Amino acid sequence: MTMLYENFRLALFSLKANKMRALLTMLGIIIGISSVIAIMTVGDSLSSTLTTTMEGFGANNIEVYLDYRPDYDGENYYEYDDLMTRDMIEELAKKFDGKIKAISVVCSLGDAQVTNGKKTAKVNVSGYTAGSFYLNNVKLVKGRFFKEVENSAASKVCIVSDKYVDTMFGGNKKEAIGSSVPLEINGKSYKFTIVGIYEYQDAFAGLGMSSGDNVRTNMYIPYKTAEVMSHDNYIFYFDFMAEQGIEQEQLIKEVDAFFEKNYYGNNERIYAHCYSMSSMLEEVQSMLSAVTLGISLIAGIALLVGGIGVMNIMLVSITERTREIGTRKALGAPNSSIRIQFIVESVVICVIGGIIGMILGCALGMTAAALLKCSVAPSIEGIIISITFSMAIGLFFGYYPANKAAKMDPIEALRYE
Amino acid sequence: MEEQQKKPIICLRDIRKNFFIGTPNELKVLKGIDLTVYEGEFVAIVGQSGSGKSTLMNIIGALDRPTSGEYTLDDVDVIKAKDSELSGIRNKKIGFVFQTYNLISKTNALRNVEMPMLYAGMGRKERQKRAEELMELVGMGDRMKHLPEELSGGQKQRVAIARAMANDPAIILADEPTGALDSETGRLVMDIFHKLHKEQGKTIVLITHSPELAEETERLITLKDGEIVGERRGKA
Repeated sequence: MTMLYENFRLALFSLKANKMRALLTMLGIIIGISSVIAIMTVGDSLSSTLTTTMEGFGANNIEVYLDYRPDYDGENYYEYDDLMTRDMIEELAKKFDGKIKAISVVCSLGDAQVTNGKKTAKVNVSGYTAGSFYLNNVKLVKGRFFKEVENSAASKVCIVSDKYVDTMFGGNKKEAIGSSVPLEINGKSYKFTIVGIYEYQDAFAGLGMSSGDNVRTNMYIPYKTAEVMSHDNYIFYFDFMAEQGIEQEQLIKEVDAFFEKNYYGNNERIYAHCYSMSSMLEEVQSMLSAVTLGISLIAGIALLVGGIGVMNIMLVSITERTREIGTRKALGAPNSSIRIQFIVESVVICVIGGIIGMILGCALGMTAAALLKCSVAPSIEGIIISITFSMAIGLFFGYYPANKAAKMDPIEALRYE
Repeated sequence: MEEQQKKPIICLRDIRKNFFIGTPNELKVLKGIDLTVYEGEFVAIVGQSGSGKSTLMNIIGALDRPTSGEYTLDDVDVIKAKDSELSGIRNKKIGFVFQTYNLISKTNALRNVEMPMLYAGMGRKERQKRAEELMELVGMGDRMKHLPEELSGGQKQRVAIARAMANDPAIILADEPTGALDSETGRLVMDIFHKLHKEQGKTIVLITHSPELAEETERLITLKDGEIVGERRGKA
């Protein structure tokens, strides 16, 4: 223990004595470690931002959609009878009461333009069920959601975005509520009354992209209203969310089985099938981490070069200190303690370089992440890896020179000029 | 002194050392040295350069192994010792004093003196205390924290002597200790050897080519061409 402490002190001494050389030696390690850390920090930040963004899209949602059976290899076509209906979904809600928290069925009416005098706003009109607002994380800033009776009566009410209010009412939300919206869809004119205003969330804001000012925003109308307007009561897909504490995988299996047993068991072409966003998120994340790992490996080459630099300097240092080594041996230093002395020295150089590199890399990575407008998260694994790695480099590249020193012949070492 | 049977410390029997400088040439550096040094003796080994002095010193100092012969140091058979044991012998039984001091640079005087004790595994406090005592003994009590480059030649050599004494070795092996010093400081260093010999009863082997210094010791051994050619009493 005392030996190790003394060696540590000695290593610091010899670094202090040759500051410039020590710094240059460390440079390789610093560059290697800092680039690895910077890349990992950016990677982690991107990945965590991606997760938050995807959650905004509904990462916890499960989608049920129709698809051709994997073993079906005939012609691809749908018949009306193949599609899902409201009844099926109501049945599902009843059957899985307590397991499914909310169901979202969306009836899209497509794009439309609202013109009022000189002002125009672009909207995308969708019929929403009560569950749709919940699953898509729509937050009201003013007004209210639809009443059940408005849905069943197919009322002409709507919820618009605050962006829409900005464009059409100069941001006056009070004035907007209760105002009417003239809409033209499929050649027919409608008049809707605004009952609520929701907060527009720029899904790409987190990724450093902005959708611009005059953006097309969603306009929500009751589902039934949309159904009546489109004369279409068939459903290709819908989303649902599991209750808290319900195992998603298990629920997916049960829902698949529900549709198979009650509706699609006899259909040899089409079946209803669940797909969870979280599994997609996992795929994206694993791809991202593979990319990060790949770039890190390249940065690791810089680290390798740095390690070779350390070995080179250690060899020089040992040649310079041949007499010291001889003296130590004459004073009774066993080979092992000479070896340890120089290994400790090389490890100390590498670890100090590693720490500097880590700080630099964190700063660099966080700056880059901030520039990309990602949420900044320093990579903890990166920090642990870099410290362990720089230590390992010190050990690995320090061993050969240290061993050379340990095996020196004391007589020749003492005579060395 | 002679009436009392003294204990032999260094026992060399028929020590031979050959260097191969490419067959068939074989350089015989030591040609059968028989030498016994007794406890508390102050012995000088003199000889011209090339006489085998240094080789003999390396063998006595357990830095080198003879080609053949027997060597017992303070009851330890050095010939049979393994390589790993030789460092222990150098550490505990021998105190080296070199012509070029060989202090570890960038390490202060006190820590230089502590070094052999460090390798002996002595605790930090104990080490420091003994090092301070030894520095006082060689008259360097006021320069303990100085770095070697801040000391004069004579001062460096005194630190080196303190270091040689660190583990209370059986012998002090001094190789031309005044060789790099002017006569005045050389005198000072020699006085310390005499002091250690008289007051502490240290066994000292002095290797020198200076006849005057050799005369100060108890016994002079003259080496020539790898053989002991003369042995006589000194003035001490």
